[in-house]
Amino acid sequence: MELVKTIKISASGMQALGNRLRVISENLANSQSLSDAPGGEPYRRKTVMFGNEFDRVLGAHLTRVKGVVTDSSEFGRKYDPNHPAADDDGYVLTPNVNTLIEMMDMREAQRSYQANLKVIQSAKEMIGRAMELLRA
Amino acid sequence: MDLRQLPLFAMMAKRMSWLADRHSVLAENIANADSPHYQARDLKPFSFERALDHAKAGLRPRATQSAHIRGLMTPANTGTEKQREPYEESLSGNNVVLEEQMMKVAETSMNYQLTANLYQKHLNMLKTAIGRGQS
Repeated sequence: MELVKTIKISASGMQALGNRLRVISENLANSQSLSDAPGGEPYRRKTVMFGNEFDRVLGAHLTRVKGVVTDSSEFGRKYDPNHPAADDDGYVLTPNVNTLIEMMDMREAQRSYQANLKVIQSAKEMIGRAMELLRA
Repeated sequence: MDLRQLPLFAMMAKRMSWLADRHSVLAENIANADSPHYQARDLKPFSFERALDHAKAGLRPRATQSAHIRGLMTPANTGTEKQREPYEESLSGNNVVLEEQMMKVAETSMNYQLTANLYQKHLNMLKTAIGRGQS
């Protein structure tokens, strides 16, 4: 049935977005995670790669998380000579997580999640309406 | 009595199935709203003439043996097509605009309700004709 298919498609999108949110929360939680050895690398930001995959059973493109990749941008530097991870000049590398960007990503994920939810709701309404024909 | 033999009911059932199809295509667009290189799709508009042609043009395979399965092959009532003139395309090559898609979802759902209501109305008319439609 088409409308049940709709619900499955939307659910796949919601699942992918849930994964994205998980990675975002990981980034945010680790935004202050530094290394404990001199010259060591701090936490590196992760991002989710989305892709779509043709599902033969449903005959539709489902959303899939293709992988979690790391952000290769440069780390920040902070002057803190007393820190155990400080290098010879007294600088400590800080994670390349920008809280503002993470919040924006979170908003985007949230918005897409809501859209998927709305589609499921409307599909449910349509199924319900079709079933009401039985009662006529 | 098979209600589908009445052209009006057959047509409305077709319309509802088209709307359900469209809903699932739109769901696909929305689910892939963040996937790179995804191009939004939509169904070809439902036209009365085309539905009529489809209804008439059913292919019936010839059974040359008794073991052959006889089925009526009707062409799929819809085909998806790339959406023309999208609102915008993001840097990742994705041209799904959530607002536009949500608008279409609302429109589809509304039309579905409308068709279902019409279906019910006609059903009630039939019931009136057979003398049970006073409710």
